[in-house]
Amino acid sequence: MNHKWLLLFLIMTSTVFISGCWSQKELNELAIISAMAIDKNEEGKYVKTIQLVNPGNVAGGLQGGGNGQSPAVTVYTAMGDSVLEAHFHATSKVSRRLYHGHANLIVISEELAREEGITDILDAFERDPEIRMTSRVVIAHHTKAGDLLKSLTAIDKIPAEKVNGTIQTTERARGESMEVTLQDVITTLTSAGKETVISGFSLIGDIQQGKKMENVQQSELDTTLESDGLAIFKEGKLVDWYQGEMSRGVVWILDKIQQTDVILDWKGQENTLTYNVVRQKTKVSADTTNDLPVITVNVRAEGDIREVRSQIDLTDPYEILDIEKEFEKEIKKQLENTVTRTQQNKSDIFGFGEVIHRSDPEKWKKMKSDWNDTYFPNLKVNVKVEAFIRRSGNRTNSYISDMKQ
Amino acid sequence: MFSFLKRKNPTNDRKIQEINNQNQSHNRPPNLIESSLSKNLEVIKQKTGNSSDIVIRQLKIGHNSKLKIAILYVKGMVDNQSVNDSVIDSIMNNQNLSEKLIPQDVLEILTEDVVTLGGIKIVSDWEKLFTALLSGETITLIDGITKGVCASTQGGQRRSVQESTTEVSIRGSKEAFNESIETNTAMVRRIINNKDLWVESINIGKMTKTEVSIMYINGIAKNEIIEEVRKRLKGINIDGILESGYIEQLIEDQTNTTFPTIYHTERPDTVAGNLLEGKIAIFVNGTPFVLLVPALFIDFFQSAEDYYERFDIATAIRFLRTVIFFISLVGPAIYIAATTFHQEMIPTKLTIIIAAQRESVPFPAFIEALIMEITFEILREAGIRMPKAMGSTISIVGALVIGQAAIQAGIVSPAMVIVVSLTAIASFATPSYAVAISARLVRFIFMVSAATFGFYGIILVFILLTVHLCSLRSFGVPYMSPLAPFIREEAGDSIFRRPIWAYKKRPRLISGQNRVSQGEDQKPQPPRKRIMKNTTNMEKGERNES
Repeated sequence: MNHKWLLLFLIMTSTVFISGCWSQKELNELAIISAMAIDKNEEGKYVKTIQLVNPGNVAGGLQGGGNGQSPAVTVYTAMGDSVLEAHFHATSKVSRRLYHGHANLIVISEELAREEGITDILDAFERDPEIRMTSRVVIAHHTKAGDLLKSLTAIDKIPAEKVNGTIQTTERARGESMEVTLQDVITTLTSAGKETVISGFSLIGDIQQGKKMENVQQSELDTTLESDGLAIFKEGKLVDWYQGEMSRGVVWILDKIQQTDVILDWKGQENTLTYNVVRQKTKVSADTTNDLPVITVNVRAEGDIREVRSQIDLTDPYEILDIEKEFEKEIKKQLENTVTRTQQNKSDIFGFGEVIHRSDPEKWKKMKSDWNDTYFPNLKVNVKVEAFIRRSGNRTNSYISDMKQ
Repeated sequence: MFSFLKRKNPTNDRKIQEINNQNQSHNRPPNLIESSLSKNLEVIKQKTGNSSDIVIRQLKIGHNSKLKIAILYVKGMVDNQSVNDSVIDSIMNNQNLSEKLIPQDVLEILTEDVVTLGGIKIVSDWEKLFTALLSGETITLIDGITKGVCASTQGGQRRSVQESTTEVSIRGSKEAFNESIETNTAMVRRIINNKDLWVESINIGKMTKTEVSIMYINGIAKNEIIEEVRKRLKGINIDGILESGYIEQLIEDQTNTTFPTIYHTERPDTVAGNLLEGKIAIFVNGTPFVLLVPALFIDFFQSAEDYYERFDIATAIRFLRTVIFFISLVGPAIYIAATTFHQEMIPTKLTIIIAAQRESVPFPAFIEALIMEITFEILREAGIRMPKAMGSTISIVGALVIGQAAIQAGIVSPAMVIVVSLTAIASFATPSYAVAISARLVRFIFMVSAATFGFYGIILVFILLTVHLCSLRSFGVPYMSPLAPFIREEAGDSIFRRPIWAYKKRPRLISGQNRVSQGEDQKPQPPRKRIMKNTTNMEKGERNES
């Protein structure tokens, strides 16, 4: 009996030692990848750029001896016939094990997205157990994807963080870009009723300048990264870029606006009133009674007047109602512009197809196959906007009203 | 198996003979006290090796001082004043004694009239006489009588009742037990003033004959458990009992565990509270630590003060203790697992900070943790055993070694220092030292498994630990109750501490028949408004209404 227990004990303890720290990886033996970029070169090979964090140069304090002297990130590029091959070629350049667990950003070049499409390259990312499905995907606008990772940034020392942070802030404050994760991209790629939209990012200035430490050692950076519109995809290929109000329209219809501002002309004066939307809800519904479905976009926005540049009597409730009407018209106009342009692009990025699928699955089955090319461009889209002015900031009437009296 | 060896070894046979002889001497009927005083004194001197601390005072009393008596006691163990006043003085100045001559009468007068002490008993055999003498009683032997009179004059210097040093509380009684068993039992009696508080005493230890008392409340404590305690205590056959830890180790249910299955405390209020729940206290002479059985796992996370604070605060503190226990158990293990296996689980910025710190550290995280843990254990052990005057030296050197030099030298990372220090503090914040020490041992197992399998290993050990804890029993009561088996009405006093007015019943598994601990409607309520205004009117009004 005793021997049995002893044997069992020995077998159990031996598993601890035989397994030998299975898949153990020390933190200081890892090359933490913060971002990856995919380009395609002239020979038709994939160029993978990886941005590695230099922990010592990011975390200040005790041991960061080289803090401020050397860059927070190091960038390596490698080529290959497939994405994964490029990745393996990169390992021959790095002394440590490449670790994707904290890679938060995947940059895809505009060229690649436009010519070849993103369909073929994402499988390698999705398949890898280390890469997060919540990594953000960004399209490099007017620049190579790799260059976006090479430029050094201020404040957020890691460029990947800067890119992610900027997109997030722009989405929250203006609604002109959108956080799109790898998961989202793959979901929209496979969905018949919704097309892909990805935020764009561009490099302003000279890349050679941006690589140097001097770039971040000045108050105004020569080379900097900027959030730049939305890339509209059709069946995995980039077809159009939306900027400003146009891209906000997309975000708005997708009900992702958290805060934004709308400017209005008032009684002949240009850009007189600025309306700050602080709360909105957008509902898309479909009416499928007729052969061609009708889509209704219901927007209900609440917000404040944040800037007044003329004598408007904001204490007058009727005046407020008039202003609300005008804002409704303005928002409606903007959204309709977006819808029209998108219908011209023949790419249902709003997910109207999914709405129809939900409301009338039978009808959807018939439309599904040529939805983007036949049905979507001819769709009748009604935009209904309700806007409410809740407050007017710290003042009611502007001091301008007092001055001229 | 090795019987041929035995035969070759003659000393073994001799030993067996010796043991037999000893047993025979035990089995012989006890020597009775003889009638001749001088012979008796001779026997005493011979048996005690003429020990210098045994005082033999010979007196002559009676008519013409013809009757010889002797008073014996042990120096230091008796209360000198009561020996002088109540025994020697009384005997010498008593009128009756100076007249009578017959020894038999003297014995009677002595016990009934002369000795002005409460505890008087008459012994007739040596065994009992020696036990009495050596426990501090004063013996009076009379020439011509085969009996001795024992007067309870126990006294001498003992540590006074002081504040508890190991279980400090802010609110509540400051008294702690001391080394004297009489004082200790009396302290509990003062709290529970009830005839049902029963005390049974036995002497344990062949050499030390230590007095051990079990105390319980008759009618609340379960008879089976009392019987079990009695049986286990009687089964102890050992040279000496120096501390209640001896008893604890000899009567616990399961020895193959690091977790304590017997609770010990030095607070009378804790003992009283547990007695009221139906537990049994074991007092051991010579130690301030009283054992309480049966002990449950959750008992070790509760302090007497929990019941003195209001329930919301006490519950919050108990939650905190649960967290503390988990930290002290798996703190370093989680750090090891997260930094060597599951880096993706740490927030990106934190990963980079830890990675930066670990950049120059030459060891794997596990070795690093082990170095720090062992350094800390060394410091802790040294801190306890050091003379108090050297304590500050230790803390300075320790702080320098752990806090500063190790980091600056790049041997350990600051994050690891934080983890280890937090764990160390957590292990001291557990109310019971006994369970904190167990957690400290188990922590190393967690660390090894975390270094081998990551979180999977931690979960694995955690499952094993839970299974082990659930397999334990304390005097037949499941160790993890009321959590496993889950007893709904008692779970209110486990991790939670329900309001005092909601304690309707005593624990089912511990207390026996009589389980109702308080009346109905104990919840305090504000007075109704009408009562506040005018009592007499209200009474009238109420009657009218009804």
